[in-house]
Amino acid sequence: MSPGGQLMFIGAILFGLGVTGFVTRRNLIIMFLCTEVMFQGILLNLIGVGLTRGNLQGQAAGLFVLVVAAVEAGLGLAIVVLLYRRRGTLDAEKWSALRG
Amino acid sequence: MNTAAWAYVAYGMTAFGALAVYFALPRGEQSHRAAALVAGAAAIGALLLALHGGAGDAARPTLTFVVLSILAVYAGARVITHRKPVYSALYFVLVVFATAGLAISAGAQFLAAALVIVYAGAILVTYVFVIMLAQQSPDATGARPIVDYDLRSREPVTAVLAGFLLVATLTGLIVTRRWPAAAPPSAANSLALGEVLLTRYAVAVEVAGVLLMVAMLGALVIARRHVPSEAPGPIEPPLPPGEAGRRVEPF
Repeated sequence: MSPGGQLMFIGAILFGLGVTGFVTRRNLIIMFLCTEVMFQGILLNLIGVGLTRGNLQGQAAGLFVLVVAAVEAGLGLAIVVLLYRRRGTLDAEKWSALRG
Repeated sequence: MNTAAWAYVAYGMTAFGALAVYFALPRGEQSHRAAALVAGAAAIGALLLALHGGAGDAARPTLTFVVLSILAVYAGARVITHRKPVYSALYFVLVVFATAGLAISAGAQFLAAALVIVYAGAILVTYVFVIMLAQQSPDATGARPIVDYDLRSREPVTAVLAGFLLVATLTGLIVTRRWPAAAPPSAANSLALGEVLLTRYAVAVEVAGVLLMVAMLGALVIARRHVPSEAPGPIEPPLPPGEAGRRVEPF
C-alpha cells in the first residue's frame, strides 16, 4: 500500500472500534467518547485520501470534521449532564423508553 | 502474494482483533485478560503484515508510522474496553496524540496542531469535567465502587460481530485497491492550507463559524433549563451560590 492507503487502513480500524464501543457500552459518557474515536478514524481517512490525490482538499475537510466534533462534544455533553440530573445515573439502558 | 491473499490477511487481522475486543470488554466479574492479550498480539502482527504489503507497489512504512499506528489502535481498543471512564478518557488522549503524529508523518502539520489543541486541549477537558460531575459518591470505606453499567456490556457478541463485518469489509477493500503513490509532503503546509481555506472554502469556513456559534447558544439554553429530578431517594436542595464553597471539606 502507499502511505495514503496505510493511513486509510488505520482509520478504518479506529472507526470500527468506535462503532463497536458505541453499540456495546452502556455509560453515556463512554458512548460519546466512542464517537470521538470514530471522528479520529474519519480524520485519518481524509488525510489518507488527500495524500493519494496529492492535494489539500482532504486536510481542509478534516478541519471541518474538527469543528463538527467540537460542536458534538459541547451539545452532547450538555445533554448528558441534563440526563444525569434527571435520573441520577449514566446508564443508557435507563432511557430505553425512548426506543418506542 | 497476490491481491486476494491480502484481503484474507485483513480478514484474519480483523477476526483476531474482534476476539481481543470481545475478551477485553467488561462482562461482570470474570476477566479474560490473557486471552485478550494473545488475540490482540496476533491482530497486531497481522496489522504489521498488512501495512508492509497490500496491492500495488508496497511502500514500506517508517518505524515512526508503525509505532504510532500500533499506539493508536491499542489505545482506541482500551478506550472502548476500560471499566473506568477516567481511564477511557486518558487513553483517548493517547489516540489523539498518535493520530496527530500520523498526520505529521503525512505532511499535515497544521491539522496535527489543530488536533492537539482542539481535542487534547478543549474537548478532553470537557469530558473530564463531566466525568467528575457525574461520579458516584464514595461508600463507607471511601472507595468508589465500579457501577454496574460500567461492569457489564450490552450484547457484546452482536456488537463485536457488527464491528468485525464493518472493519473486515473496509480493510479488505483498502488493502486490495491500488492507491496511487503519494506526492512528497510539502514543507509549507500551513501556508497552502490557509490559501485553500480562504479561497476555495471561504463560504464553508463562514458556515463553520456560524455552526460553532449556534452550538454555543444551544449549550447555554440547555444548561439554563431547570430539570425535575426523577431519581429515587432524597435529593439535596441546591445550595445558594455563596454557600457552595463553604461546605467543601478540606483534604
